[in-house]
Amino acid sequence: MKKLLNRRFLVLAAVLIAVVVVAGVSAQDSLIRYASNASDEGPRGQDEAMVARWNEQHPDQPIEHSVTDHEAFKQAIRTYLVADPAPDVLTWFAGNRMAFFVDRGLAADLSPLYEREGWYDSYAPGFVALATAGEGQYFVPTSYYWWAMYFRRSIMEANGLTAPATWDELLATCDTLSAAGITPITIGTRAPWTAAAWFDFLNMRINGPEFHINLMLLKESYTDERVVAVFDHWRQLYEHNCFLPDSAAYEWQEALDFMNRGEAAMYLMGDFIRDSVPDEIESDLDFEMFPVINPDMPIGIDAPTDGFFMSAASGNPEGAYDFLAFIGSAEEQQFAADNLGRLPTRMDVDTSGFSEAQQKGIGLVQSADYVAQFYDRDTTPEMAEAGLNAFAEFISDPMNADVTALLESLEADRVRIAAEQAAE
Amino acid sequence: MTDTTYNGQFSPQASGALFQPRRKPLTVRRALLYAGLLILTLIWLLPFFSALLTSVRTMDEISLNGFWRPDLNTLTLENFTQAWEQARVSRYLGNSFVITLPSLFATLFLSSLSAFALARYKFRLALPLYFMFVAGTMLPFQILLLPVFKLANDWKVYNTHWALIIIHTAFQMGFCTMVLRNYMKTIPNDIVEAARVDGCSDFRIYWQIIIPLTLPAMAALATLEFTWIFNDYLWALILVQNDALKPITAGLASLQGQFTTNWPLITAGSLIGVVPTLFVFAFLQRYFIQGLTLGSGK
Amino acid sequence: MTTISAAQRGAQRERRRMRINATPYLFLLVPLAVYFIWIVFPMLFSVYLSLTNWDGISPIPAPNALSLDNYNRLFTDRDFGVSFGNNVKWMIVFLTVPTTVGLGLAMIFNTDIRGSRWFKISFYAPLILSFVVIGTIWAWIYEPRAGLLNSVIVGVSQLLASIFPFVTPLERGPGWLADRNLALWSIMGAAVWRQCGYVMILYLAGLKNLDPSLIEAARVDGANGWQLFRRVIFPLLGPITTVVIVVSVIDSLRAFDLVQVMTRGGPGGASNVLANFMYIEAFNNYNFGYGASIAVVLLGLSLFIVVPYLYRTVKTELEY
Repeated sequence: MKKLLNRRFLVLAAVLIAVVVVAGVSAQDSLIRYASNASDEGPRGQDEAMVARWNEQHPDQPIEHSVTDHEAFKQAIRTYLVADPAPDVLTWFAGNRMAFFVDRGLAADLSPLYEREGWYDSYAPGFVALATAGEGQYFVPTSYYWWAMYFRRSIMEANGLTAPATWDELLATCDTLSAAGITPITIGTRAPWTAAAWFDFLNMRINGPEFHINLMLLKESYTDERVVAVFDHWRQLYEHNCFLPDSAAYEWQEALDFMNRGEAAMYLMGDFIRDSVPDEIESDLDFEMFPVINPDMPIGIDAPTDGFFMSAASGNPEGAYDFLAFIGSAEEQQFAADNLGRLPTRMDVDTSGFSEAQQKGIGLVQSADYVAQFYDRDTTPEMAEAGLNAFAEFISDPMNADVTALLESLEADRVRIAAEQAAE
Repeated sequence: MTDTTYNGQFSPQASGALFQPRRKPLTVRRALLYAGLLILTLIWLLPFFSALLTSVRTMDEISLNGFWRPDLNTLTLENFTQAWEQARVSRYLGNSFVITLPSLFATLFLSSLSAFALARYKFRLALPLYFMFVAGTMLPFQILLLPVFKLANDWKVYNTHWALIIIHTAFQMGFCTMVLRNYMKTIPNDIVEAARVDGCSDFRIYWQIIIPLTLPAMAALATLEFTWIFNDYLWALILVQNDALKPITAGLASLQGQFTTNWPLITAGSLIGVVPTLFVFAFLQRYFIQGLTLGSGK
Repeated sequence: MTTISAAQRGAQRERRRMRINATPYLFLLVPLAVYFIWIVFPMLFSVYLSLTNWDGISPIPAPNALSLDNYNRLFTDRDFGVSFGNNVKWMIVFLTVPTTVGLGLAMIFNTDIRGSRWFKISFYAPLILSFVVIGTIWAWIYEPRAGLLNSVIVGVSQLLASIFPFVTPLERGPGWLADRNLALWSIMGAAVWRQCGYVMILYLAGLKNLDPSLIEAARVDGANGWQLFRRVIFPLLGPITTVVIVVSVIDSLRAFDLVQVMTRGGPGGASNVLANFMYIEAFNNYNFGYGASIAVVLLGLSLFIVVPYLYRTVKTELEY
């Protein structure tokens, strides 16, 4: 009789099974898991400083701080939220992006925290409303910023120009600048959301904010002739050589480099543009409201709100509350406003020391009749993906793009997504 | 992500030349061939050259002078130190090793077990199981992403290095089993039979006869698998959330998010990330050639 | 012992056979357990999910809610059509360019050309790079303004213009990754760069295993270089060529990382391939059911290639 298997084999196998099966790692209860999307250089510094301040004040409640690339975060967050352990506190965006998680029960109701910290009184009512779904508050809006037409003052002056205030002025500005060998407007659409800003503003200026927001809510049709008009205007800008060629090759920061080098004059951007502008150019950077197209329409502006929320599956809700209370405090908002130039959402933050740009930005938002978030925050995630893709397709060849087909395809998506939403 | 190949014989470094032993005199035709080859090779190396040249310059200088006229006075190694420190490349590299090495050993060990069973025994399921492994190597792995993510959660390994170790071990097993099984099939039966007559247990046959004879193939496999596992990006993105646990590939991706406009810095980080695979390959190359001579000398 | 009946003897033999047969299963126990739990089961699970409208978050739909809706939607989805077409283009390129170049290189290096070791390493080197790194390096090469490629193109055009007065110098080169019509081909350039070395390795291994006496015999018969290749070597390489074809097709179906790193499928979805499209649907649009149906199509295409190959292998295995 031959031996079937010797003991060594069985021991090896047993060890291996044990290793594979008992591979769990025990969770530390006092740990606060914080998942952040602040991967850009400026915001990252602010984010790390914030965590450092917390750690100094709360040595017994350590933070596990994870920063994920901003674009990758948008996709990875859905796995974070259903993971075990889920992060306790996460960065995110107000609007539909937040509502999507609230609807699915992935965000914790923070109304006890609002109550405890007295936030109903200290936060501006508009922002509390933005955080509210049904009865509860699910989001801590900590800052907002505005989108505007940024420009290099020196380049405009050298060409005898001022910031365009009307459609005709915008086209004329493009003509003058491109004749002078300067790219009138820079744009980087490798991540295509930058193009959505153009859609948002054109749509709001041509058709008014009401139509825009109804389109975002999937209540208006993408084949509506008002949407076609948006693309007609957009194409005119290309006919006047307004934009940087090959924009799809660049991230928004790379496109900004053209402006930093003085090769481009204007940029439709959010105020986070300031994070990436070198100090010596920042004094030359100015901004104005997007030009008026149809003077009869109310003025809308994109002014997205950023903030934090707590995952419903948090294993350390007390810690998460404490950390959120810290993040949402007046001191931290003051830090963020002073360091990054974002605007605070609390009414008790001291704005007297704000920079000229911040003061002007506040004025810009207050002068608007309607404040939208942004295309990919106002509409559903799936519609946003389809829309951004269509915009990117359009601007990759604006002269020959088949707008009718593009819009028909978007409309088909809208109808399907709306039906799915209604079924839920 | 991973490549597929057919059996135990890879020979990137094979000296070949079995059927043309004579060194021919230099003719015009050969000179032309040689020149053409040289040009093609230089073109092939251009991307490396581009990366190396870029990594020692600054973006401002590139913008100013253009790609082909580097200002030799401003060349700098600062991008490398900045990548190492600011981008925490050192920590990411450590994670990559912590993930790659156990996966490598586990997948080679488990595959050698299954390969041994499939190669040396006749049983009804031998062929179907073999085909299951072969098919597994050829299927698009993206289909597994979300189910595996769920599974990792259910097994409480999500957001640990274990999750990556397990999935790499399991996923690479198909390929390793296929290669090792084919390799073991070529080992002559009489060696095994002789051992059996001497009263060797099945496990001793596996451990003391087959495994030593299979080492050349294992070494070659280890080289390949090391680069594959080391270079994985997507699993790391899906199965690990904590930045402190991410491997170099995911780290490089966040580097790109942080320093989008700084091509020199990103390139420098990428080059640092390449060093381990380069090193391991250079190191294992010797085993590799030894293995090939061993295999052909039987 | 004459009292043992035939039936008993049969049972005894059966028992012995069973016992012997348990050995391979013992060896297979752990590997198969790991493989089934982490690979086979998830794969089947994806097939199940493709019949649901699961969003990846809500509870997984029950078996009674299954439908083929996702598959119907594929037929009308323009983006799916584009991605599918891109995979086909990718496959055609992979079946022609790297195969030819790889075989050519293998034939050259199989002779004792001087410095062949270093040449070979140059072609092999891209294989050890991760796709993230390849994508990064190549995206920089394709950068429209200062990248290597357009620097060369603009530079050469200016050089020509300075020599020939009738040539107008280019002010800027193509947009490469930013151009809808070029993006996919540009990505494939990077992929081919990597793949050639791989095919070369496969063919070199094949050439090394050829029987030198056959070639010597043909040479004695007066075959010249090209004839030798056409009539003798290439046919003898048949099995390797099959492998190369299978590998090329499978790798082109799997294309993912380079697209993800270089264009994320842009501009406007023009360079999407099925694997990316699936990833976007599942992880960006939260349509895991739909994403799974794309994955299943990909699976089907792969099986379409793999099964005949396996069938061939079965036949040789059985003959052996």
